[in-house]
Amino acid sequence: MHWLGVDVGGTFTDLVLFERASGRLRVLKTPSTPHDQSEGILAGVARLAVGPAGLERIVHGTTVATNTALEGDGARLAVVTTAGHRDVLVVGRGNRMAMYNIKAPPNRPLVPRSRCHEVRERLGVDGAVAIELDEAGVAAVGRRLAEDGIEAVAVCYLHSYANPDHERRSAAILSAILPDAVVTTSAEVLPEYREYERFSTTALNAYVAPRMRRYLGELRHRLATAGIRAPLSIMTSNGGTLPADRVEAMPVLSMLSGPAAGVIAASHVGAAAGFPDVITCDMGGTSTDVCLVRGGEFSMTTEGRVGAFPVKIRQIDINTIGAGGGSIAAVATGGFLTVGPRSAKAFPGPACFGRGGLEPTVTDANLALGRLGTDRLLGGEIRLDREAALAAVARLGAEIGLSPERMAEGILRIAVVSMAGAIKEVSVMRGIDPRDFALLPYGGAGPLQAAAIADELGMRTVVVPPMPGNFSAFGLLVADVRRDLVRTRVAAVDDLSAADVRAMLAGLLEAGEAELASADFPPERRRFAASLDMRYAGQSFELSVPVATDIDDLAALVTAFEAVYVARYGGTTTAPVEIVSYRIAAWGLSDKPALPPLEGEGRSLASAALGTRPVVFDGETRPVPILDRERLPVGETVAGPAIIEEDGSSTVVPPGWSATLDRIGCLVLRRGEGDAP
Amino acid sequence: MSIDPITLEVLTQGLISIVREMRATVCRTASSVAIYDAKDFSCGLFAPDSQVVAQSEDIGSHVVPLPWSVRSAMEKLGHDLKPGDVILSNDPYTGGTHLNDVTVIFPVFQDGRLIFFPAVRAHWADVGGMVPGSMSGKATEIYQEGVRIPPIKIQEGGRFNEAALDLLLSNMRVPEERLGDLQASLASCRVAEKRIHELCRRYGVDLLLEAVRLDLDRSEARMRACIAGLPDGTYRFEDYLETYMGGRFEPLLLPLALTVAGDRMTADFTGASPQVPFPVNSTAAVTAASVFIAVKSIFDPAAPLNQGSFRPIEVNAPPGSIVNVQRPAPAGSHGEIRKRVIATMVGALSQVVPDRVAGDLCRTSFHNLIGGLDAKRGREWVHYEWSAGGNGAFRESDGPSAMATIDWGDLVTVQSSEVIETRMPLVVETSRLATDSGGAGTTRGGLSMQRSMRVLAADSRYSLLSDGAVVPAFGVLGGLSGVPVGSWIENGGVIQGFDTPGKIAGHPVGNGDVVVVRSAGGGGYGDPLLRDPARVADDVREGYVSREAAHDLYGVALDARGAADPVATEALRRRQRAARFGLAAVLVEDAYEAGAVSRRRICRIHPRDAAAAGLEADDVVEMDARLAAPLRAWLRIDPAVAPGTLPIDALGLAILKVDAGARLEVRRVATVVPPQARFAEAAE
Repeated sequence: MHWLGVDVGGTFTDLVLFERASGRLRVLKTPSTPHDQSEGILAGVARLAVGPAGLERIVHGTTVATNTALEGDGARLAVVTTAGHRDVLVVGRGNRMAMYNIKAPPNRPLVPRSRCHEVRERLGVDGAVAIELDEAGVAAVGRRLAEDGIEAVAVCYLHSYANPDHERRSAAILSAILPDAVVTTSAEVLPEYREYERFSTTALNAYVAPRMRRYLGELRHRLATAGIRAPLSIMTSNGGTLPADRVEAMPVLSMLSGPAAGVIAASHVGAAAGFPDVITCDMGGTSTDVCLVRGGEFSMTTEGRVGAFPVKIRQIDINTIGAGGGSIAAVATGGFLTVGPRSAKAFPGPACFGRGGLEPTVTDANLALGRLGTDRLLGGEIRLDREAALAAVARLGAEIGLSPERMAEGILRIAVVSMAGAIKEVSVMRGIDPRDFALLPYGGAGPLQAAAIADELGMRTVVVPPMPGNFSAFGLLVADVRRDLVRTRVAAVDDLSAADVRAMLAGLLEAGEAELASADFPPERRRFAASLDMRYAGQSFELSVPVATDIDDLAALVTAFEAVYVARYGGTTTAPVEIVSYRIAAWGLSDKPALPPLEGEGRSLASAALGTRPVVFDGETRPVPILDRERLPVGETVAGPAIIEEDGSSTVVPPGWSATLDRIGCLVLRRGEGDAP
Repeated sequence: MSIDPITLEVLTQGLISIVREMRATVCRTASSVAIYDAKDFSCGLFAPDSQVVAQSEDIGSHVVPLPWSVRSAMEKLGHDLKPGDVILSNDPYTGGTHLNDVTVIFPVFQDGRLIFFPAVRAHWADVGGMVPGSMSGKATEIYQEGVRIPPIKIQEGGRFNEAALDLLLSNMRVPEERLGDLQASLASCRVAEKRIHELCRRYGVDLLLEAVRLDLDRSEARMRACIAGLPDGTYRFEDYLETYMGGRFEPLLLPLALTVAGDRMTADFTGASPQVPFPVNSTAAVTAASVFIAVKSIFDPAAPLNQGSFRPIEVNAPPGSIVNVQRPAPAGSHGEIRKRVIATMVGALSQVVPDRVAGDLCRTSFHNLIGGLDAKRGREWVHYEWSAGGNGAFRESDGPSAMATIDWGDLVTVQSSEVIETRMPLVVETSRLATDSGGAGTTRGGLSMQRSMRVLAADSRYSLLSDGAVVPAFGVLGGLSGVPVGSWIENGGVIQGFDTPGKIAGHPVGNGDVVVVRSAGGGGYGDPLLRDPARVADDVREGYVSREAAHDLYGVALDARGAADPVATEALRRRQRAARFGLAAVLVEDAYEAGAVSRRRICRIHPRDAAAAGLEADDVVEMDARLAAPLRAWLRIDPAVAPGTLPIDALGLAILKVDAGARLEVRRVATVVPPQARFAEAAE
């Protein structure tokens, strides 16, 4: 019996198959099929040739929800909201996206104002009914929506987190009138206060839901046709998985599906390799994602966004910058040299793809310097044209008087500085020293730049995991089921008893138990963690304080809050402490594949040697040994400079660095003493 | 010393990254909520000659004036700085903004040589003065606004000047919190010092300073290239700030003469109103910074911000005027001068590069305060409401509605109704964009935000410290004005307006009263009769424009289904264009009338013309040739003026880009919001 992880990206669909009997992992890359991602998945499954009965479990990372939101081709959506408040989504928070620009265009709302409908109803802060729901008014709106051909409805009332009754009744009325539409309420998506963020999350959920429903329907159909009956689950933004039908109802949970899987893989592999503290660096074509993992735990945030729209769902705290392999280098007026955020994307792609791209990219610079070879096909697909890369780099160099080699090194240098900047934002900017961490690069391009990024930050260790090009797909197989639940009820700690707090948490625990039971997890495989969002009265943001689910001492709670506060902000104040929201994280523990120990047979430095290639380091071209990662011996050290190649990726070991393959297949790069910049 | 372009970029990014880390450090360690929560602070790196070298995502209103404080500090203390010395200052008269903005300037030495000043300007929640929070609309002297700190060494040789510190903190409310704010700024500067030393070790101090020099020079070259593309000449504009002298409305004149000569630019505010004993004035630093913000926003928003960009620009702000306040006049409300300086720059540049400007921004910072004693909870409450208004339209697009203006960084301006109701005895009954509030134009100005808040507490009070309540945001190239800011109180269908719109101090509000506040609309761009009728129909469908306004202002006839009727629209537009009221310009010497402190432009017309145009004495009107921004004036009816003529001075003709004899449109500017107009009619 086998488990399958499938991560669909813009260009490639990555598959990792775990054969339980042998403990073997098989990887495969196949072209993505953006018009219907399920087609590419089935093509990959067919190539793996494991008969329909051989699959026991399928875990999927998908970009359907994110792409639908970013490309703006979601459902014909309407919002039904409290009278007087139709403009919540249109206005947002009144902040400016483009600093200093007198020509900043208006933000494009997800729903035009004319499709935001008001209904007479009103709740107070505590959920008490101030104005009874006008059911006839809801029905009248429903009939207008039916005439308008609406496919999805977000029902968003003020203070519904405190009392979902009006939203639920409205949804029932609307569903009866619009039987084919997706109707979502804000209290079920995110029962948390701050209406713009809650409405935005809910509206996004409704916006992407019909498309997600179609996609998952198609995927299930194709799997069934192929005779595959294995249960399907989807990676969600919090680093857990959920059964596909849960995600179908709540697709907004999957906005970070792919990137989350990579972080899960990194925390898992880092810990297995003896590096529980890592900073991940997932370098793709147009962007790079970084995330801080400490003691195997990744940090979480509720400040996520998809495009301009906030998504308040609790998700892994991943910092993304617009610089990747396809980022274009250019010179602006005044001689300002930039790399990214403009990208050559998949089409035309970097100059070396030979599809008409003329401006040099990071990938072209790597190729021009010999860091990347031309022998292997990129992703098993694309043959790289070194001459085209060199010509593109040379053209830009001529503009500012640099030789092609200096220009190419310069492009990489600037890209490395901006990636290091992204890492600083999640480390030094939060008072954390990145030198206490190992860098864990993945994505096809990550291992090419990793040592240089580590140098820039003074980090001494880089851990290149096995199968870096399919790493996120591997992460799908090591994730647990996870659901994060939240509810807002603002009150000063002084006005609460421990029993009040326990009662709020108990309600959430019950929902978590039900969720895990429906996913067939027996009680011994369920885990729960509680936390409270707290602040001093008068502040407008909260800090998350972990607590026991059976908390009994509120004085200790205030002390715990103060400790978290001091760690983050240095001092405390005398203001009263408030609890704003209650959170439960519920896990269903899955079985996970282990990385099998490498077998020694046939592995030696001699058998790994693929010859040498001229490679440029610090302006100097020299012959550098090229090694095959698949044949490297475990435990022996390779001194830089060297290039270690494998299908889907290349690792650069610069001068002053060395590389050792560990027993589970991680390539551990270390910087020699005395070479710190 | 030569430096390659790659190293230059790496070092430039390195310095910007240091400022980012400074910001993060302040956020992590400050005590004032306004600092770590509202992000009301800015950081920068300065060269010893006080030029700003690097900034990051800071609020323009704060950060751009910072170099003046550094310069003043250097003039006073620069001859005697040693490692371990730290300078503290908040004095508006020597380069500051207002007293709440307290600046720490931290000299960094390398090998005994002074190389950089990291500096932090942060809004302290209180610096003493007559009211908690220090800023008061009632201040008539700076001494009521808090403690003035001229540049002093708060640390010498790494040790606090205990006497000075003790004296300062003794004059502030919640001194332990203020000490926390000071420590946060110091921590931030120490981080910068450490990072600067790391850069010096890695690259060498000479290479680093050379990179700074080149970076400033290339920014300067980029700005000079922008200015050189403009035709030489002096371009003028004038605008007003609003005040009440003894209860009487008095507009304060702010004239600008903007001279372009080759690749240099000079903004001269000679003739600005004398300073007044109200918090309307601001400092020379704020004035110059506002000129820079306007230039950057119009010509080069994307470039990294450093002093090089501003070298080709000179600013002249006459001492003792509203744009260069002198002791002892108050300086608490710098936002209004900032927005008006930007408006004059937009107006003047609309004559030269109409394609690059936008209609006027939403005019004011719009500080509303509702508060009182919440008897139920037994504590004071204050709701501070600063909803942004509409931004100006521009050639390519309608203006954004209810969005922070270019001088406000990424500040959040619309607060959550749920949060307001959780904290305050208020119910937010409506929170909507105001239909027809954006200036009509070929592209439309952004809409204003209108909020109705029912007060559920007895004995509350409402205050407003605002501008733009009488003279609204202007359009350009024939675009119309946005609506002015407004506020009123409603209860049971009765609407109560205010005698001094925009300046309201502690007006009593009863339990159950609804306070309605409306921010300003943005100015339109281009002739509304040229707007694509389909887009007008869209605006009506979306509720941004009413059917009446579509007809009256845009000349669009809509059919029963709400689509534009092309034939009827064409006929309607022809009629409206022909009916526009215009007069022939006649050159006169003086077109102003003196008030108690300042003067205002007068539009003097014959009674028959006034009757024909439906204009009344004292109306605020705009004269316009639709070639740039219009010129505002107060209407006087005068039988001595020849019928059909409009006396105007040479300056006015230049602003409108016409000669004597030209036909000028005269139209009334909507100066009061409709509910107040209705109230006024009812009272009669």
